[in-house]
Amino acid sequence: MSVSVMVPTLLRPLTDGQKKVDAQGETVRHIIDHLDSRYPGIKARLVHEDEVHRFVNIYVNDDDIRFAAGLATRTAPGDKLTVLPAVAGG
Amino acid sequence: MSRLLDDASLSWRSGPCLPAWQSLSAALQRQGDCLGLRHADGAADGPALLLTHPDLQPLQTRFAGLPALPLELSSEFTLQATCGLMSVHGRASGRLQALGVNYLATLNAALAWQGCLAAAVGQLRGGHFRDVTLQPAAGALLSIGQYLAGATAPEDAEHLLPGSDDALARPPFLSADGLLFELETLDSLPWRRFWNALGISDALAGKAWQRFLLRYARAVAPMPAECLDALASLPLARIQAIASDSGVALVPVRDPAQRRADLDYPASAAAPWQLQRGPVGKPASAAAPAQRPLQGIRVLESCRRIQGPLAGHLLALLGAEVIRLEPPGGDPLRNMPPCADGCSVRFDALNHLKDVREVDIKSAAGRAEIHELCRDADVFLHNWAPGKAAELRLDAADLHATRPSLVHAYAGGWGDAAVSAPGTDFTVQAWSGVASRIAAASGTRGGTLFTALDVLGGVISAQGICAALLDRELHGHGSQVHSSLLGAADLLLDTGSGETAPALLQGLFRTADGVLALDCQTRQQHQALARLLGGNADACSLEVQLARQGTAHWVDACLAAGIPASTAHEDLALLGADPRLAPSLAHRAYRSVQSPWSFR
Repeated sequence: MSVSVMVPTLLRPLTDGQKKVDAQGETVRHIIDHLDSRYPGIKARLVHEDEVHRFVNIYVNDDDIRFAAGLATRTAPGDKLTVLPAVAGG
Repeated sequence: MSRLLDDASLSWRSGPCLPAWQSLSAALQRQGDCLGLRHADGAADGPALLLTHPDLQPLQTRFAGLPALPLELSSEFTLQATCGLMSVHGRASGRLQALGVNYLATLNAALAWQGCLAAAVGQLRGGHFRDVTLQPAAGALLSIGQYLAGATAPEDAEHLLPGSDDALARPPFLSADGLLFELETLDSLPWRRFWNALGISDALAGKAWQRFLLRYARAVAPMPAECLDALASLPLARIQAIASDSGVALVPVRDPAQRRADLDYPASAAAPWQLQRGPVGKPASAAAPAQRPLQGIRVLESCRRIQGPLAGHLLALLGAEVIRLEPPGGDPLRNMPPCADGCSVRFDALNHLKDVREVDIKSAAGRAEIHELCRDADVFLHNWAPGKAAELRLDAADLHATRPSLVHAYAGGWGDAAVSAPGTDFTVQAWSGVASRIAAASGTRGGTLFTALDVLGGVISAQGICAALLDRELHGHGSQVHSSLLGAADLLLDTGSGETAPALLQGLFRTADGVLALDCQTRQQHQALARLLGGNADACSLEVQLARQGTAHWVDACLAAGIPASTAHEDLALLGADPRLAPSLAHRAYRSVQSPWSFR
């Protein structure tokens, strides 16, 4: 089984318009690498110098990976990975 | 140095008070004083505002209602109800209800002055602007424009109704010793450290972070109960120490009297801007503006989030060419859902009238590019953190060396107050007494999660820029003008801006299909309402009779009988379907708000 990835609107041009795609991998880093091999360019939109971009939040199921092990956060088959842009402050 | 227009030749006359909305007239007068203009009483049937100067044709500014929403029967209460403010405020305050402060009076007085000052600038630059009309309903809609965009996006539209969230589970927070406070950080790491120190798990801290981040956009922030309980078990001093160790700012919720005792308060209360004249300089004359008064004025805007971008949006609505400076790759807020046509609708609502230029302000090449752009610019507007402009060598003195006639504007957070916390809407609401005042009126323990100060701060910033442009036209020099969220908050609570007289009968009432806002201010209106209801307008009759017909019926009947009334909209998605509001709304991919001004 694979992990399903919910793609935010702004990244959908890279996934041929798909809102939800499947990817393989045991950590978030692997999932993103796998996504990038199928949808080139997506990694650069999410990761910079091996850190999640400051204005991007990534959740495994409902858990923010910044509050877990970051890109090394483990994923299991059937998990849902959600990417949400977020900016602090008003 | 608080008066913006220190010119003895500029004077103004005020017109008669609006019958149902005296606080609007009071706010207009208060802001005229803040601007430093000489005031004379006006004719009984004159415009709301008449500006005169030897170099100007007299400039009239009037307020106008919408075709089916007459101004003489509109009030702060009915407009907050019908234009969606109560709906947004109600999301986290437990129910559909008013803010309890003269928000729309302060906002619309600022917009009226802004339109008037812009028209004066336009006239001095060769345009023929004699009459300005402001629609307060459109001003009110502009204030919730971002939320309206979010609620009417074509995909993933937000559906957040009043009362949908627990009013006790949102910030501000409560300590064991019963003290209320706000927390603020713009980074997840301090947040995580703070909650870990309180014994909260990473998973819960992460959930709380997501909700905390989104409170600016969604006006709700339900915090996990475990987080609230952890704080409620400790005294404030201990929480303060943990916050300090973690790098999280803590700001107490103070009452207005505490704010008035601050050393920086008198200057801030005297005027929400500070103007400092710069070098002598006046741009070469260009083509006269024809349709809108700031046509031909070029604004460079380097702002994030709400306050600064809204100021730029207002200047664009007045005709200015606004160039937005964004970091390489664009402003990350462009990606905030919900989106339409590849852009956040919330972002688009504030920025769709602007051109965009991506510039890396941290690089020497980027700064050189900004200097180059300034050679043809009239205004440079930023909302960077305090001290950053000087650090980047893009402060007023730096840019005046390139362009002496430039208006260098800063839309900041704290003004001159010595508060060591990010100056954001909610920390400033807490510190200024606005949160306390709104909480008392709303029956909650916090202010509003509607970004009331970001919006008002944006209007105040644009108003200050228009005044500085007028000062430049009259006296021929550049300037720097500072405004802040705290200055906007002080203006909002200024007693001179109009205390609300208690209404005879003011409230929200269920009808057969929605909610009706009623604001009977006179005995005659109350008697007219009693006649409409068959002879009696006591609480019981109101409830029974009003439930027998739909809201549209009652609004029509009340307005025909001379009673201030409106539909109280619960669902922002339905604002666009209200024929009374339709003239102020436009169709983009979402519902967008039209300019509140017109000029002749």
